[in-house]
Amino acid sequence: MGIPTTYTEQELVLALKQRNDQAFGFLYDNYAGALYSIIKQIITDNSELASDVLQEVFINIWRKIETYDSTKGRLFTWMLNIARNASIDMLRSKSYQNSQKNQELPDNVYKGVANQTVLQNVDNIGLKKVLEKLKPEHRILVELAYFKGFTHEEIAEMMVIPLGTVKTRIRNALIQLREYLK
Amino acid sequence: MNVQEYIESGIIESYVMGLASEPERAEFERLCAEHPELLAARKKFEERLEGYASENAVSPPPEVKVKVLEAIGKPDSRAEIASIPPTIVTMRNDKEEPREKATAGTPFILRLLAAASIVLFLAMGYLYYQTKQENKDLTDTNDRLKTSLDTTKNVLDRIVKEQADVVSNPNVTVVNMVGTTVAPKSSANIYWDSASSNVYLVVKNMPKLTSDKQYQLWALIDNKPKDLGVFDATDSKVILQMKNTQKAQAFAITIQQKGGSPSPDLQKLQSMGKTLQNQ
Repeated sequence: MGIPTTYTEQELVLALKQRNDQAFGFLYDNYAGALYSIIKQIITDNSELASDVLQEVFINIWRKIETYDSTKGRLFTWMLNIARNASIDMLRSKSYQNSQKNQELPDNVYKGVANQTVLQNVDNIGLKKVLEKLKPEHRILVELAYFKGFTHEEIAEMMVIPLGTVKTRIRNALIQLREYLK
Repeated sequence: MNVQEYIESGIIESYVMGLASEPERAEFERLCAEHPELLAARKKFEERLEGYASENAVSPPPEVKVKVLEAIGKPDSRAEIASIPPTIVTMRNDKEEPREKATAGTPFILRLLAAASIVLFLAMGYLYYQTKQENKDLTDTNDRLKTSLDTTKNVLDRIVKEQADVVSNPNVTVVNMVGTTVAPKSSANIYWDSASSNVYLVVKNMPKLTSDKQYQLWALIDNKPKDLGVFDATDSKVILQMKNTQKAQAFAITIQQKGGSPSPDLQKLQSMGKTLQNQ
């Protein structure tokens, strides 16, 4: 059929910017699982909403491919950040909050998140599996920053530690993370 | 600056994972353009992250791909999607109520038009019912009026016939009652059928009485009065059947208490007329 079964990253990006639907199919088939994994690491308890987010993410990738700048990072990095941001948006949306009626909201949101984070060690997948290897005081900061989307300032406030300490610990945790990814 | 220290500071991971602040990102991008080793380190971490993510991939539900391709208008001809029921999914800006939105596929204007046609249909039905009801009411009223008219016409016909009978009957004696000095203008006609003894009275001009009084007709037989019944002045121009009498030398009308009296108050004799009957 003349359809290439693989693309180099440059070829793929070029084809996507040309609105090639076969390239988009290839993109989905090759990356949906990895993106769905990160979405499920953020939206841990609702597969239905996680599917909705994945759907939204790929539609956004198709619509925003023009804005992708290869000098700033790989295509997957760009898509991963779209998926993470969409998941965190969902986490903060009213519909997700409504599905979490058994949780304390929103006055105790920081406390609630912190407790949830400590308790969530059971069936971690993907990056979270790597997080388990970190020291608890590092792990919780990465959890809050990466999987819950809190800013360093918010984390410093909720954990009652200096902002500089938050930044340093997160940087150190990420360096360790890189080592575990080998 | 020491690039190696910068690389080891964790900024690469922070930037790639989207945790760096805007000033950090701007600085990192600027330094990447200047230092190839920094760019190489960034790419290395990105590949590592991508590799790890791919190894830990989780298969999404198959219908997600169908929905995505439908949403962007590129149905996947290669995938076997025939077994999966198609669902129209519109891109959501907010994430609230996703299940409701997925089912509410009918455009608002169509739902509005559907609602409007139902309202219109009900209104027309009501108007039709009301018009039909009004029509029925009018027909009923018309029928009642027709019945009433027929009855009235029958009564009138009977009266005309009776009058004609009375007037044209050869046995009928017409007695012209004339006013007395007490009531000079009072006048009435008596039609007396000597064969059947029927007595009819037609008031021509009798003054109105107070409500407690009535006129009373008498037949004078051998100078003795016989009561023939009472009547009112308002009965004018109508033929009244009074009580029968076989004999009468004269008729007289008096004013009596309402309901009449057994004997006439002759002082109030209003009019009188003699018959041709011999005493």
